[in-house]
Amino acid sequence: MSVLHVLFKVGGAEYVLPYSDVLHMDAYAGATKVPGTPPYVLGITPVRGKVLPVIDLRARFGLEPHAPSPDSRVVVVQTGGRTLALLADSAREVLRLDPTVFRAAPEMVSEGGQGFVKSVAQAGSRLVMLLDLEKVSGEEQFDGE
Amino acid sequence: MEPSEFLAGYLAEADEHLASATRNLLAVESNLRRGLPSPRPVRELFRSLHTIKGLSAMLGIEPIVAIAHGMEAMLRAADGAGGKLRETALEVLVRGLAAIEQRVRAVGRGETVPAAPADLVTALEDVESPDGAPSAAMVSLGLPPEIASKLSVSEREQLSVGVAAGRRAVRVDFVPSPERAASGLTITTARERVAERGEIVKVVPMSRPAAPDAPGGLAFALIVLTDLDDAAIAAAVGGEAADVQSLAEPRREPSPLPSEEAVVGTRGVVRVEVERLDDALEKLSALVVTRYRIERTVAQLARGAVDVRALTPILQENARQLKELRAAIMRSRMVSARELLERVPLLVRGLSRSTGKAVDLRIDTGSAELDKSVAERVFPAIVHLVRNAVDHALEPTPERERRGKVPAGLLRVTCLEHGSNQLEISVEDDGAGIDREKLARRAGRPLPETNEALLALLTMPGVSTRDEATTTSGRGMGMDIVKRIVVEELGGELTVDTAPGRGTTFTLRIPLTITIVDAFSFRCSSEAFVVPVAGVEEIVEIDPAQIMRAPSGKGRAPVRMIERRGSPMPLIALDTVFRLPRLEMARRKAIVVRRTSQPFAFEVDQMIGQQEVVVRPLEDPLVRTPGVVGSTDLGDGQPTLVLDLVALSAKLSRRKTDARA
Repeated sequence: MSVLHVLFKVGGAEYVLPYSDVLHMDAYAGATKVPGTPPYVLGITPVRGKVLPVIDLRARFGLEPHAPSPDSRVVVVQTGGRTLALLADSAREVLRLDPTVFRAAPEMVSEGGQGFVKSVAQAGSRLVMLLDLEKVSGEEQFDGE
Repeated sequence: MEPSEFLAGYLAEADEHLASATRNLLAVESNLRRGLPSPRPVRELFRSLHTIKGLSAMLGIEPIVAIAHGMEAMLRAADGAGGKLRETALEVLVRGLAAIEQRVRAVGRGETVPAAPADLVTALEDVESPDGAPSAAMVSLGLPPEIASKLSVSEREQLSVGVAAGRRAVRVDFVPSPERAASGLTITTARERVAERGEIVKVVPMSRPAAPDAPGGLAFALIVLTDLDDAAIAAAVGGEAADVQSLAEPRREPSPLPSEEAVVGTRGVVRVEVERLDDALEKLSALVVTRYRIERTVAQLARGAVDVRALTPILQENARQLKELRAAIMRSRMVSARELLERVPLLVRGLSRSTGKAVDLRIDTGSAELDKSVAERVFPAIVHLVRNAVDHALEPTPERERRGKVPAGLLRVTCLEHGSNQLEISVEDDGAGIDREKLARRAGRPLPETNEALLALLTMPGVSTRDEATTTSGRGMGMDIVKRIVVEELGGELTVDTAPGRGTTFTLRIPLTITIVDAFSFRCSSEAFVVPVAGVEEIVEIDPAQIMRAPSGKGRAPVRMIERRGSPMPLIALDTVFRLPRLEMARRKAIVVRRTSQPFAFEVDQMIGQQEVVVRPLEDPLVRTPGVVGSTDLGDGQPTLVLDLVALSAKLSRRKTDARA
């Protein structure tokens, strides 16, 4: 049985998350910086009555930062009881993907990507990468110092 | 009196309240001409005079205090009478306001303030008692003139009624001294202890010649109604029995008890509108601000080589009193979870009757207390959930029996403390459960697979699980409202759990108290922040010329310090701590906080104001950072960080210690 996935773009590459992990997608309305947080945390942003931390996926993936555009979207996800906003360059599509089409990410991808990519799937002519939300929202200890 | 910033502030505020008082007095007059009562103008007039009285008392302008006090008593009586005032009373009020205005002008010109006109004071007292005649319970009191002149008619009446009811009226003198303060006995504690032993009618501050046992040249006469003897009262203030003077003893023959109304008024529980509590809190905030002004003025005087040492303990005392007053008001704002749910049984009874469904209601509350304004906001959400449960979820008895369930539907409402500052309210039923498929069909959306998705669907405006609208809940109304209240207004969480045929549980998690705090807002670099008033000692302007720099070892920026009451205190630039760009500023402000005994000054760019804010805690580990407790919305739709400067100072001093080690 195929599962609905949300597809979004970061730095020209396409990533997916299962629909069940995604609460909704919204335009990005800017964030309030929180001092002492990791550089990839843009701050907190109000999303539908909640105040959520925003992770800049470009910064998280070590890409050149660029200013949010009208295409930028926050993908609001749930992981391990937390609700987070991920800032992507754009997010417009949903895809039906059969879980069996996912393959382990090539070593280079998983190492280069610091384990952010759990697996990859070929969807027609496109290659999409399944994000490891736990890693992306990683709780590795960070001290602002 | 030296014209000072404080005085300027006083004059500006007094003017504002005089203007508003005049407006309201005119409104009272025009209503009176048409034979109408003026409940609102009377109340506003009362507030203006009350503020004028408080401000004047702080500056020690006794004549204005006396006049305002008399007018206040009159207006209180009028308020009690539904805003009705007599023509004669109005005349007196007009004269009183004119007399106050005249005296405020005198203050403004730096002249001696004339005493309150004796005939005006008498007139105020005469109209104060509605029929001009002393009340029946009046007992003549042998009050010494210096005390009698400080008591209002109503306070004298309170004493008379108390004595008539068989209590003793006594005067207890308390003389503050450093020794007594060291043993924990200040006027505040003395007051508390006396209050445990009797009813304090009034505390009259009296000046007296400074002596070794009274270095402050100040004493307080506590006028008390009590059943105890002199020695027991004297013990409360740490004095000899000689410090207690009897003012009036009860007559031996039994006298009629005070009316039930009087007893209820003094001893019973009073229900207060949240608005009034908010008003009290607002007044308190004004007091806090005024206190900063006093401290600033004192600091200025000190810089001008004026000896202000005698003021320091008074200011400290005042700070503590303010803190206690705040705590007392906050306490009066708390309601118990039991009170929150006390109307639920009645609601369920009504619903059970109108739907014909048998309901087995179980309410379970712990000992949690929550802020009244939170309680008032969340209650409608509980009502919605209870209604929906009885109306939509619970099946009628025959259907339940067919399904092998007990005849009466179970509805369990629990309200328990969750963690340190959260209340978990759940509304659970053992009804039919939510039909996901039907809901999805109706909404034209995909089938919600998770509880979160189900909740999202349920809380979409206009979504219903019912075919027909019912009288009690209409067409599945309310879930969007419930969500708005819980999530958006209160910054809480709403979850749902449902199983077909077994029932549904909605759980609300809302913050208990600190949701709404009184806070200062300020700017630092390009950002706005707020800090709760409770943690702030004072706010001072920084004179750049007064900043001292102490070397701090190689490679590190020098430690900056500013002087405060004769000792240096570290000055920490908040923009540097937060790594924000530093803006050019001629003058900056410092927010002083105290951690254990060490004061810290945080340098910020400018103060914006003071307001009540709703704090949403920042809980995600990604944004949890020392010194930041949560966020709030100052009205621009963007989150503003709420800081805990005490925690931040703790972190900074720890870091310093680490660096040294």
